[in-house]
Amino acid sequence: MNVDKVGIVGYYHIKPSMDLDMGRYESIFRAVRGALDSAKLERKDLTSVVSATNDFYDGRTISNCFTVEPSGSYLKDETKVEMDGAYAMLYGMMRVLSGNHKLVAVWGASMASCFPYESVSLMATDPTFERPVEALNVMTAGAFQMRAYMNKFGVGPEDIASVAVKNRKNAAMNEMALPESQEKDASVKGVLESEVLSSPVTEKMYARPCDGAACVLLAPEQQAMRITDTPVWITGVGYSQETYYLGDRDLSKSKSMENAARMAFKAAGVNDPRKDISVAELYEHFAHEELIQAEAIGFSKAGQAAKLSSGIGGEIPINPSGGAMSGNVLCAAGLMRVIEAVKQIKGEAKGHQVQGAERAIASGQWGFCAQNSILYVLEGGRK
Amino acid sequence: MAQKWIEKTEGIVRADFAYWVGKYMDKFYDGLEKQKIVGNKCPSCNKVYVPPRKVCGDCAATIPLDGEWLDLGTKGTLLNFTATRYSVSERRKKKSEKTTIIGLIQVDGSDTAVIYPILDAQEQDMKIGMKLDVVWNKKQQGTPNDIKGFKVAGGA
Ligand SMILES: [Zn+2]
Repeated sequence: MNVDKVGIVGYYHIKPSMDLDMGRYESIFRAVRGALDSAKLERKDLTSVVSATNDFYDGRTISNCFTVEPSGSYLKDETKVEMDGAYAMLYGMMRVLSGNHKLVAVWGASMASCFPYESVSLMATDPTFERPVEALNVMTAGAFQMRAYMNKFGVGPEDIASVAVKNRKNAAMNEMALPESQEKDASVKGVLESEVLSSPVTEKMYARPCDGAACVLLAPEQQAMRITDTPVWITGVGYSQETYYLGDRDLSKSKSMENAARMAFKAAGVNDPRKDISVAELYEHFAHEELIQAEAIGFSKAGQAAKLSSGIGGEIPINPSGGAMSGNVLCAAGLMRVIEAVKQIKGEAKGHQVQGAERAIASGQWGFCAQNSILYVLEGGRK
Repeated sequence: MAQKWIEKTEGIVRADFAYWVGKYMDKFYDGLEKQKIVGNKCPSCNKVYVPPRKVCGDCAATIPLDGEWLDLGTKGTLLNFTATRYSVSERRKKKSEKTTIIGLIQVDGSDTAVIYPILDAQEQDMKIGMKLDVVWNKKQQGTPNDIKGFKVAGGA
């Protein structure tokens, strides 16, 4: 079978929670089952399942071995990515493009309420050099990145806080957002005066990891059109990564996202992202990462993204769902950006719908100061 | 909902790793033991790495073990900093009354940066670009913690 195009034919994510009232099995089952239900398909229709989980976050090695039954992969072709589901989707896409698979479930999930995330992140540092010093973890790294960005371009903390305000207000219009993130009265003052976690990062600038699960279904072109009247096509994807040591990098920008965007836009024929893209869902672990990504993608010049009109009715709406702030489910939050982009294209975003959304982008990032970046271009239409 | 631990895993299995640091980091730690910071230079792009590397990622080239090594001295420049009251390494996040300042420091003569605490300093006095001196731990053992941290140059 010769496949040129991959379509997203189903999606679902459970409502994120700071302390989910269900176990891992159930959360994963609900996400995968929900995606199958959304496409009116059954487990027997799946030919492959690609998961995104993290052994450290699950507290067990080869953590996909216990997800076989809830993810529908029992006696199926199954494989795993140890990063965000947005990366697992690239893997799933390759399985469809191989011509061997007619329906691939891609899911990601984690439960941050079960483990000390910021401390566990120390295990990602160099075990013989950085780890014994105990100075670097995901939080101090994010703080370096925010200061590097502000210092390089003369951006103020209130500009960063404004991103958090926008996303928290957007989350208030997203019925599937983490309840704690839904703040219709969010203010710059409130964000700046929230607790300092690691200066200059404050609590409300941080997309605090939470519990959840998400799933999308991928199918080859012909199959996708049989499954649904409104498939969403992956018309471009790009992926890139930077060096490991933070001290080797310019933290004020995202070179990996620049590369990923270039690749994705070339494939999709996007010449001017500001004109050609209707809406962007960008994974921001910290508020400042939305600005850094927007610049890497080409929505603005370096250091100027805070001036973008990026509200739901704005010139280039960014994170109308509330972004990762609306539920930073590790291993799923990037995949949830894809789901949000799909909702926008299909007109299913309800309270946070961007009018006339045709072509959307969705990103995932992973690693300290977003060492890795992935970007998708998604479009609707029957051909 | 009442909270209770059904299973609280506290190291049922001990798996201590005896990592081999390799010949390049071996030289680096030998240097620290003598209160010296050494780096190595990529022969094709001239970038000076601290800690030293075997491979220059940019050049996709091996830096020979018998290539150019530099004794960089003990001064550095503050490139970035953060202040936090949260422990970086506690099993459960734990807050202390004491603020720790952590810096991204470029050792003078190198093109990279290392991450260490900034000692005996106040956050409001920190300025990007300020000069720093290494503070050695009392006992040198050839480990990353031979460097206790950095302090503002000329400071107490
Ligand atoms: Zn080189």
